[in-house]
Order: sequence, then structure tokens, then C-alpha cells
Amino acid sequence: MDVDIRKRELVKEFSPMLLKSTKWSKIWIGILVGFILWGLAAFVIQVIKGHEVTGMRDNVVWGIYIINFIFFVCLSYSGAFISGILHFFKTPWKNSVSRIVEIITVVSLIIGPIFILLCIGRLDRLHYLFLYPRIQSPITWDIIAIITDLIGCFIYLYLTFIPDFAILRDNSEDVPKWRRKLYTFLAIGYRDTPTQRNRLHKITRIMSAMIIALAIVAYTVLAWIFSLTLQPGWNSTIFAPYFIVAGLYSGVGVIIIAMYLIRKYFKLDHYIRKVHFIGAGVILLVISLLFGYFTFSEYFSRWFSHKTHDANLLNTLFNRYFWEFIFANYIGVLVPIVILFFKKFRTIKSITFAAIIAVLGLWLNRYLIVVPTLETPYLPIQDTRPEFIHYSATWVEWALSFAGIAAFVLFFILIMRLVPIIPMSGIIDYEREGKGGTNSVTQHQLK
Amino acid sequence: MRTSFFTYSLSIVLLSLFLVSNTFAQEQDLSDYRMRFRFKSIKQPDQSRILEASFIAANKKDRKDRVPVYGADITFLNVLGEEQVSLGSSKTSKEGIAQITLPENQSYLMDPEGRINFRAVFKGTEELDGEEKEISIKDIHLDLGLIEKDSVRTVQINAHTIDSLGLQIPVVETDIIISVGGMLSKMVIEEGSIEDGTYEFEMPTDLPGDANGDIKVYAIIEDHDDYGDVVQKNMANWGVSKKSGQESENTLWSEAAPIWMYVVLTILLVGIWANFVYTGIHLFKIKKEGKELELKTEN
Repeated sequence: MDVDIRKRELVKEFSPMLLKSTKWSKIWIGILVGFILWGLAAFVIQVIKGHEVTGMRDNVVWGIYIINFIFFVCLSYSGAFISGILHFFKTPWKNSVSRIVEIITVVSLIIGPIFILLCIGRLDRLHYLFLYPRIQSPITWDIIAIITDLIGCFIYLYLTFIPDFAILRDNSEDVPKWRRKLYTFLAIGYRDTPTQRNRLHKITRIMSAMIIALAIVAYTVLAWIFSLTLQPGWNSTIFAPYFIVAGLYSGVGVIIIAMYLIRKYFKLDHYIRKVHFIGAGVILLVISLLFGYFTFSEYFSRWFSHKTHDANLLNTLFNRYFWEFIFANYIGVLVPIVILFFKKFRTIKSITFAAIIAVLGLWLNRYLIVVPTLETPYLPIQDTRPEFIHYSATWVEWALSFAGIAAFVLFFILIMRLVPIIPMSGIIDYEREGKGGTNSVTQHQLK
Repeated sequence: MRTSFFTYSLSIVLLSLFLVSNTFAQEQDLSDYRMRFRFKSIKQPDQSRILEASFIAANKKDRKDRVPVYGADITFLNVLGEEQVSLGSSKTSKEGIAQITLPENQSYLMDPEGRINFRAVFKGTEELDGEEKEISIKDIHLDLGLIEKDSVRTVQINAHTIDSLGLQIPVVETDIIISVGGMLSKMVIEEGSIEDGTYEFEMPTDLPGDANGDIKVYAIIEDHDDYGDVVQKNMANWGVSKKSGQESENTLWSEAAPIWMYVVLTILLVGIWANFVYTGIHLFKIKKEGKELELKTEN
């Protein structure tokens, strides 16, 4: 196999994805930018008028911002976890999904922490967290963990991108000058020599193992922000593993949705095949069973012990939040299980549908962890105005939430314009190891 | 067809029985119950007196089935021969108890022996017969002293009654219980008998007090034929403080974090950041090799 010719072929195959902009892609980017601008306007209003413009009050001090924060950060950790597993164990079909997972990991870790900043009433005092940290506080741990994790994920993502930057640098004749300069800069002189390759493989492997551990540590600390308090619904010994399982559940769900959209939009049926959806679907099935077990265990022990405040919380969940509770903990778990359990239901569309249900269910599950607990405090709520007793998100909060989702999708698209969504270096490595023929390698490796 | 009809019929019968059983359970016949009307007097530490009547309907067959009579109007009287003075009236609570409190300076009709006769009267209604109960007690004066005799912490009780001539008569052969107050109930520490108007005993020195080390001591005469219930209390700083040194060791919210936390976090962070540096060094080496290759190619 002539590696140089193969690299050129791959660049030629993937160049349209990087360079061509269709009318629809422009419209789509325009819509996303519109959402982000709408969010920015809401942010300006929130900064000027304060948290009064949100649904957050004295009792319910956390709303959908913190839920989005947990959701995105858990997406990132699960992405890091899955990506680490794919690389560390050299999973045969990793080439089709690894880059999607890596991009999800980094982009969600950029978007997630922005939401925690929106929860802060006095942003002008943000630097106090760094000037006067209390090492005993889970918040300080969380800041350290998130910053470390963010840097770790960036380095990891960069390491996996280097060989592709080098291929693009050497084989992109028709690209603009700035783009080639960028590829040259980012490829840091990588020539794919055996020494460089071994060196890069070694550090990528170590990094992949480390980010698995980092994801577990960071997500555990995030769970402790809740479980180390004595609040009913939060003070639980299984919260850390529960969060990790929930994170994996939503992570795999988002990966399946991304796989579906990328496959459809970029017509990558050749690379992202049904077998990958079935593989991801089986993983989602196993995690949904685990998640269901943890959820049952969590609520059952609360119900059985029947402590006054736990009973009040369950009463709130089964009355005011009845349908949300049913969707999050029954439909969100059982529907994916039913779809994924039976072989005849495992089509690409049905697996994607199961993933959408799982992701929506998990977002609601997060909502039910945060809001009802704050609505049932230990001391009776003194201010009896409805907005003090019950939380409901305002347009400002929704605008910023949708802006976050839009930013997530936009960043994802922009990174896909920089490097191919299927790692070319992975395909070359696979062919070099002799696991497939020159022309049909990608088909073989995906089987 | 036959089977489904049988299943259907059985379901209906079982459902009916389930519903009807509740109806049976609701029926109560008053003739199955015996009315229990009790009356007692409790002299309190502040020398006031509680008159308490309890009115309970007890099932003749099932002794666990006791139904308090709620809202019964009970009148309390002080009686001497034909003469009677109304002391007040009260309605029974949901627990079937009616109470009135008579102040310390209440004057009573007394017989020559110094006995006071109290009577509790329920006049009756259309469904319930009238009830009446009388008790006769002597007014007892109970003093509870907590003193140190030769550095020995001593509980000293003095008890006497006053006859119609105003003379103090020491109380004899009367059982008394000494307790200390706890969070939920009183704990008995001594049981004895008052002889010749006094009773003394040595207080244990290992009892925990409240946050300040105070102990509440109670002297109680219970259900006595002559005196009824009498309670007296006093307080002394004789307790062993319940403050434990562990509070200051609650490390999570102390000013400085515990050492182990620094050690664990440092190991974790140094390990991770060392790996970042290690990765950076290797990237630098990759770059260096790339430059060397570039120079070789140019030459």
C-alpha cells in the first residue's frame, strides 16, 4: 500500500465536507447564530436587571441553568470516558465514532461551565473564588476538577487531531492559504515517521487512560456538590455512581443522535453503518438497565424509610411533577429498553428515537433532582408569593438555554469544517496494520 | 364461556366482600362498652393543683379497644357535707381528659382532719349515663432541697401537712420517687419512703446535665390514698457537661482543611499535571524531529 497515495485519496474524499458550503448549511448556521444572539440579549438583560428576570428566588436558588450545566458537563465526562475506552482498548470500530465523541467531549465542556456562571448573582465577584478558595468546599474542588479536565480534554483532542492536520497540510492543494498555514501550525512538524508515530501513540494512550480516571473523579465531585448536603433528595451515598451512569446514558444517547445527523447530512452511510448503531444501541441498553436500577434504588429507599422530608419530596414529585416524573423515570428508561431489547426493533431510526427519548428523559431527571428538592425546604417558605413557592423558568432562562444548545451545535459544525469527522489517520493505521484491503478497508473495519 | 362466567362471578363476590367488610367494621354498639370515669389531683411544683378527670369507653370483650369520650362537660366541685363549691368545669379532650388548674392561693372547704373533698361530675346525655367520682386528700407541702453536706451532694426531702389548727404534721410512711429530667422522659434514680417528715439520699455524681451542666431533680408521690399525686422539682449544677471535644474536630467546616485532603488533592493534581507536562515534552520532541526532517529535505 502506498501510504501517500492513500492519504491523498482520503483527503480528496473528505475535502467537500471541509470546504463546500451549501445553501442549507448557511441557513442552518444563520439560525444557530440567531439563537446565540437571542441568548446574548437575554444575558445582557440578566446582567443589568439581575436574577430578578429569572425564575430563581430565595428558596429555589437553582433552576435550569444548573440543570444544563450538569447535563453538558455529564455529556463531556461520558464522552471522555467512552473516547478513552475506545482508544485504550483499541476498539475495532472506533474510527467511525471516536472523533464524534471527542468533539462532543470538548465542546460540551466549553458550553457547560458557562451555565454555572449564569447561576452566579454577582458575577463581579467571580474572581473571589480563585482569590479566596476554601479547599474544603466541593465548589472549589469542582472548579479545579473542571479546569484540569478541560485542559486534559483539549490536549487529548489535539493529540488525536495531529496526524490528520499533518495529512491535510501535505495534501490540500486547493485550500485557502490561511487554512494551510493553520494546518502547518497545528501539525507541529509531524511527518508520520516511526519515531513520531510511536511517540504520539504512547502519549495518546496514556492520556486516554488518564481522562477516564479524570472523568470519574470530576463527575464524582460534581455529584458531591449535591450529595454532601443534607437536603432531601440529594443526600445520598449512591449519587456519585448514579451521576456517572446517568452521564454515560445521556452521553451514548447524544452520540447516537450525532451519528444519525452526521450520517444523514454528510451522506456517510459508507462509514457510519447500521452495525455501529446496533453496537451503540446495545451499550445504551446496558446503561439504561443500570440507570433504571439506580433510579429505582434511589427512590425506593427514600420511599421505604419514609422520613418526613423525603416523604414530602416524594409527595411533590408524585403530585406537582407527576408527568415529568413518569417521563423521566418510566418512559425515559423503559421505552429505550423495549426498543433496544428486541432485535427486530433495532433499526437506525428506532435506535435514534430511543436515544432521543433517553436524552430528554435524562434532562428531566436532572430537573427533578434540582427543583422539587429546593421547593420542599426544611423550614417553611415564608414568602407566599407563587414565584417564591414554585419555580418556573422565564424566557431569559430558556433563551440562554437554547443559545447554549445552538452554540454546542455551531462549535461542532465549525470543528467538523476544520478536520474530517472520520479520522483519516485511523483509517491509514488500520490499513497499515494489514487488517483490510486498500480500497475496502473502511468497510471491513466497520463490520 | 363457563369458566369466564365463573371467574367473573367470583371476582364480583370477592370485591363485594371486600367492600362490605368495611361496612361491618364501622358498626359500634354502645352496650359493648363499659364507661371508665377516673379522677385524680396533682399538686404541682408551683403549689398549684390540677384536677383531672379521664373519661374512656372500654370494650368489654376487647381490652385493646378503648375509645376516649370527647367533648363531655365535667364539673369540678369542692364538697364538705352538704355544702359544695364549684371550682370550674372543662370539656374532655380528644384523649378523653378534662382538666382544671387551681392556683396556689385557692381556698378550700376542709374537714377537721384537714381533708379536702373533690368531686368530678358528668351530668350525662341522652346516650351516656351520668358519672360521678369523689376523692379526699390532705394538702401536703413537699420541699425538695439539693444541698452539699461535707462536699457530698445530697437530696433532702421534707414533707408535712397542716391540720385545721394550723399545726405542721410530719408525713410518715409515704413512698416517694426521685427522678431526673431527660430529653423525652424522667429517669428514676431513687425510690424510698418518707419517715418522720424527711427523706435523704446521696445524689449520683455521674449524671449528664444539659449544655450548662444543670440537672432537674423531681420528687414525686404517685397516686397516694391521702395525698393524690404530688410533684416537686428543683435544679442544681451537678451534671457532667455533655460537651464533647469532638465538635472542634469537624474538619470539613473548620478554618483549615485537614492534612489528608491536601495530600490527596495534591497527589491527584500533581499526577495529572505532570502528565500534561510529559505530553508537552513529547510534543516538543515531535516538533523538533519534524524540523530536523524539514532541514534534511531542504538540504
